[in-house]
Amino acid sequence: MARSLKKGPFVNEKLFRKVEKLTQMDRREPIKTWARSCTIVPEFVGHTFLVHNGKIFNNVFVTEDMVGHKLGEFSPTRLFRGHTIGTKAQRASGSVK
Amino acid sequence: MPRIIGVDIPDKKPIRIALRYIHGIGPVNSELILKEAGIDGQVRAHELTDDQLAQLAGIIDGTYVVEGALRRAVAQNIGRLRDIRSYRGDRHRRGLPVNGQRTRTNARTRKGRKKTVAGKKGVKGMK
Repeated sequence: MARSLKKGPFVNEKLFRKVEKLTQMDRREPIKTWARSCTIVPEFVGHTFLVHNGKIFNNVFVTEDMVGHKLGEFSPTRLFRGHTIGTKAQRASGSVK
Repeated sequence: MPRIIGVDIPDKKPIRIALRYIHGIGPVNSELILKEAGIDGQVRAHELTDDQLAQLAGIIDGTYVVEGALRRAVAQNIGRLRDIRSYRGDRHRRGLPVNGQRTRTNARTRKGRKKTVAGKKGVKGMK
């Protein structure tokens, strides 16, 4: 369900202030953050964030297209390496192709 | 057979049903269009005059995104999600459900037909 318009988008205040500060100083170094639920607002465009995924910080360079999404959408929390092809014995018995 | 918006050829059905054969026009839009045109929805499609057909085509052309344009718009939206490397784009790329549904079971619409993998004891009929 969509968020009430009355409230406006959720933006992590602290993170927002940090971005503003960096913009003012005209600096673009990556910002380390855990605020995955923070909506990306136009002010963020061009900045790089290091978004925590529970384990590591993923590099997220914000482009114009990302506005309106959340930071967490770009830092996957799960890693899927694919299924096994089965053990040697299983393949031999024909139960696994 | 009457033609509305290029290739769409609704048939002998009542016009309110026939309009729904156009991609992007469902029950609600169909009723709205007919109301705007002032045409009775129960009239069969082939009984409509050329004027009426032209009128319908005009309304659809002017207000609705249908057929190719609609398909393109949808594909573009998905393409955008893919390009920005978002979670949703990733789900589209992998052909898995996008809106947080479970994948432990079900999700067959997105994943396609079952690909049976034998377990330890083997699957029936695969010996």
